[in-house]
Amino acid sequence: MATDQTSEARLYTEGPEGLRSEEMILNMGPQHPSTHGVLRLVLTLEGETVVHCTPVIGYLHRGIEKILENRPYMGGIRYMDNSDYLSPMLNETAYAGAVEQLMGIEPPRRAQYIRLLCNELQRIASHLVAIGTYGLDLGAFTPILYTFRDREGIMDMFEALGGSRFNVNYLRVGGVLHDFPAGWLQQCEQWLDRFERMGLPELEELITGNEIFDARTQGVGYIDPRQAVAYGLTGPILRASGVSFDLRVDRPYMAYREIPVNVQTRQEGDAFARYRVRMNEMYESVRLCRVVLDKLPGGAISSRTPIALRPPRGETYFALESSKGEQGIYLISDGSEYPYRAKIRGPSFVNLQILPELLRGYKMADVVAILGSIDVVLGEVDR
Amino acid sequence: MSVLFNVIHFIIVLAFSLFFLLNAAMVLVYLERKVMALMQDRVGPLHNGPQGILQSPFDVAKLLLKEDIFRGVSKDPLIFQLAPVVFFAPVLTAFVVLPFSPYVTGGALATGVVYYVAMSSIDVIGVFMAGWGSNSKYALIGGLRSAAQMISYELPLVLALVGPVMLTSVLAPGCGGGHPNLGVCSVGSISFTQIVAAQMRAPAPWLWFVILQPLGLLIYYICGLAETNRSPFDLPEAESELVAGYLTEYSGMRWAMFFLGEYGNMTIVSAVATAVFLGGWSGPGAAIEFWTGALGSFWGQVIFNIFGVGWFIAKMFVLLIVFIWVRATLPRLRADQLMQYAWLILMPLTLLNILITGALLLLPVGQTAQLWISGAANWLLLLIFVFGLRRITGVSPLGRLPRWMRKRAASPSRGLASGAPPRSERALAGQRS
Repeated sequence: MATDQTSEARLYTEGPEGLRSEEMILNMGPQHPSTHGVLRLVLTLEGETVVHCTPVIGYLHRGIEKILENRPYMGGIRYMDNSDYLSPMLNETAYAGAVEQLMGIEPPRRAQYIRLLCNELQRIASHLVAIGTYGLDLGAFTPILYTFRDREGIMDMFEALGGSRFNVNYLRVGGVLHDFPAGWLQQCEQWLDRFERMGLPELEELITGNEIFDARTQGVGYIDPRQAVAYGLTGPILRASGVSFDLRVDRPYMAYREIPVNVQTRQEGDAFARYRVRMNEMYESVRLCRVVLDKLPGGAISSRTPIALRPPRGETYFALESSKGEQGIYLISDGSEYPYRAKIRGPSFVNLQILPELLRGYKMADVVAILGSIDVVLGEVDR
Repeated sequence: MSVLFNVIHFIIVLAFSLFFLLNAAMVLVYLERKVMALMQDRVGPLHNGPQGILQSPFDVAKLLLKEDIFRGVSKDPLIFQLAPVVFFAPVLTAFVVLPFSPYVTGGALATGVVYYVAMSSIDVIGVFMAGWGSNSKYALIGGLRSAAQMISYELPLVLALVGPVMLTSVLAPGCGGGHPNLGVCSVGSISFTQIVAAQMRAPAPWLWFVILQPLGLLIYYICGLAETNRSPFDLPEAESELVAGYLTEYSGMRWAMFFLGEYGNMTIVSAVATAVFLGGWSGPGAAIEFWTGALGSFWGQVIFNIFGVGWFIAKMFVLLIVFIWVRATLPRLRADQLMQYAWLILMPLTLLNILITGALLLLPVGQTAQLWISGAANWLLLLIFVFGLRRITGVSPLGRLPRWMRKRAASPSRGLASGAPPRSERALAGQRS
């Protein structure tokens, strides 16, 4: 009897006028327009206020880590494309970097610069999608079409490089697959010019300073810096909370050892700050691309590596700053052609952890505003 | 003979109203897709007919042929099935009072404004029935939101129409003219025909009320956006949160009726704004004395009415394109911000507008001076509203924390390090114990 009463008391709460209100459980996703893939959120609502949120993941699980263990080292690169499908170049770089670290080889300087260029372009592409879909989450239909139009230019360039728009499969252990095709650098420069002259100002005019956008994002989804560090958040979310942590600067790898990066941080810690950090990072990425185009060294694009890679026994962890945070690859080698164990440390997966804590107490309309500002990619959360 | 003419008149008007409403929605859907595509760097529909103009008829044909799903969806099929009708019927009936021209109007109803407002507020019931009958949580939340929103915005919408009605009482003397529908006004009127007529009998050749009441038009238009659930007030069907709101469980022709009702509503809001603020059918070429003088009574009237209807529809579509433009530009407000906006900003502002307009029209000066003064006051109020709004809605200028957020950032209560539960949990714990 006593248990019945307590469960009754949990389900019904007395309002100020003695009205009994019932908590409502709302299942958001996995087929919901704005859960960015197949995330499922079980929301407990009181009126429109979120009392509790349980993210349910795993709808996109493809066993990428297991697939990596069943492929030769070189063959794993292609599967990394599908992990965070909005930034395949960055994933590939992380994987190739991990294998190189395991084998103790250093790619030639030109290859490092090419990788940096691809990484920064990919970062722009990923942030464009993040900002475009964020606008869609908030009900603005136009930004996503502008951002996808600009992103299309990057996709075209990647197609020219690797033969495929999305799953580029361009990196190789020890270097990259091809050198730039004829005219590619001019195309890249033109794209950067156009993006800086048209793409970014258009976005700024459309979104930044819009009163409704400000009212929807400022002060929404506040993350304390200490809380952010405690949850292990990385990437734009962490930097928007005022913590200056960027692996490109704090643990520089490849060409970032030679090209300094200005870390973009904001102090507010809310959804608006996250949007702003992403915008600023796009400006910074454009600058970095220009630096690379200026300083691009000559030489080989790949070091000589055997077709069948057999790294020595041992284990390694290599992490780089992906568009969403620390993208780490942990590899154990038993001396054979296949990794003994491959583990992906995905930024989206870690960043998603804070969602239940973050949503509590906000209105239901803020759920998508907060989820969108975290910018998770389910391909990488579920792997 | 006169009976025969009346019957013909009735048939023409009825056919025109029905034809116009049903087709305006279809044209509007096509227009929306094309105009938005233009604004968004796309091409829009292209394949059905030249430039895709047959897209909308094909869509309608598809929807007509679709299966009508309601068994298994709803626990209350009657309400579920009736909801689209309840939503659509008031839209259709509200069309009757719209004055396309002095001749093409379903009846110069003396209480036009009140009738229109009454009809447009009945829509809420249909939405609420849909939300309840769907037996779906998304639909229920959508229906509730919509009901709250439509009722809230109904008030400033009505109050925004009061200003022009007050102006008619000043402009009434001397309004008469070549048509029986125009000849009867002697005092202020709430008939749409008389309101339009009052805008043509003024010191200026076309003294449209937008010149005297720009704030009224702006507020009316904002409320119209909310009333028709259009962006940025499209919360009831917020795709990113509520899938499709109260429409979630509907399919086929029932869904199409909601759709049609919504676009019909947009058309009506624009048409009323045209009639009340933009001078209705008045415009270059719509001069009845000139045409009757040149072509005789019958053909003069015909030509005049063609011009009038043309001007009315042109103005209406300009306003409809603004609807589309707004949708392509703005994100969506949150439910509480939406309510706040209606009750704390729009309501006081419309009341202030009525007060100021009324007071200024009582000034013991000539009619022209009265109009000048009240118009100037309204423009001033408009400027204050537009520039003051930035201060109210923009939470903080870029890069500066608002005070309440700084406090929150400084207090450790949200941090993980301190043991205090977050604020909402505290509040809930207090409620439960």
